[in-house]
Amino acid sequence: MTKKSIVQQASDNAYYHKDFHIALNYGIEYLYKNFGEDAVVEYLMQFANNYHTPLKKSLSTIGLAAIKKHYEKIFKIEGAAYDMNFPKDNSELTIHLHASTAVMHIKKNGHLLAPAYEKTVSVVNQEICRNTPYDCELMEYKQDNGAYKIHFFKRDL
Amino acid sequence: MISCTEFIPAYSELFKFLEKKKDKVAVTDFWNFLSDEFLTNLRDEVFENGLLGCWNYWNKTLKEEAADFTMVLDEKAQEFSITMHHCPSKGLLLEQKQTEPYRDYCEHCIVLYQRVLDPLGFEYEHDQSQTNKAKCRLTVKPKKEIN
Repeated sequence: MTKKSIVQQASDNAYYHKDFHIALNYGIEYLYKNFGEDAVVEYLMQFANNYHTPLKKSLSTIGLAAIKKHYEKIFKIEGAAYDMNFPKDNSELTIHLHASTAVMHIKKNGHLLAPAYEKTVSVVNQEICRNTPYDCELMEYKQDNGAYKIHFFKRDL
Repeated sequence: MISCTEFIPAYSELFKFLEKKKDKVAVTDFWNFLSDEFLTNLRDEVFENGLLGCWNYWNKTLKEEAADFTMVLDEKAQEFSITMHHCPSKGLLLEQKQTEPYRDYCEHCIVLYQRVLDPLGFEYEHDQSQTNKAKCRLTVKPKKEIN
């Protein structure tokens, strides 16, 4: 008969629980199946507007460098392959994610990707830009691996 | 892409959204759905290994979540327990300034885990009296047989 115990402090491990990607995918699936695609969009708008308030403020004050910094941090944590095109005049930013670590993890573990999952890219980024001097457009999205190209640019006033 | 490190705020916002869109029952219904679809790894572990399966499951997930905890498996006493000194999820929600955590956020643990463990013959108890400080304690024991 075994008795064992373990004591861990937060600083003992890095915060990176990839299965949370699977849980979010089921959140999107649940919304889609029970309330439709509009509910997925509404939910992601709510999330982006509430959670990304600091990023929206930074975008308004320092411009697209805020978006660049945000995604560089995210992609580093996720170990994602990407490239960015950010001209010196700060007027536009193109991000090319070569493969989504979220989509790859969901699929690798045998789960189906939720319908409208790509809204986690398009809607969230549009909402980050809402009421700022910037806008964005999802130029490409690949369903098989979640790769995408998104273009951020200055709005016409 | 929403990073897995941004999931907890997204999760809490989803509960708020479902309650506003419909009601609390919709939130619980989602937790049941998530338990059935997502916690297959916990179900498989406990089905195969009993209380040791609980140890195997949480030993991996809590480390990945960088939790501050003490976990004990006492096979003689037939008890598994986790004392969460600082829950990384609730802690993150309490620390961030931009959003309020969903009122009943911590309840999801009870619903998700009880739904897996109860049919496998285990009692799941969760003391959530200090979740306002991101602390809690859970125990899992085999159900007592009633003659």
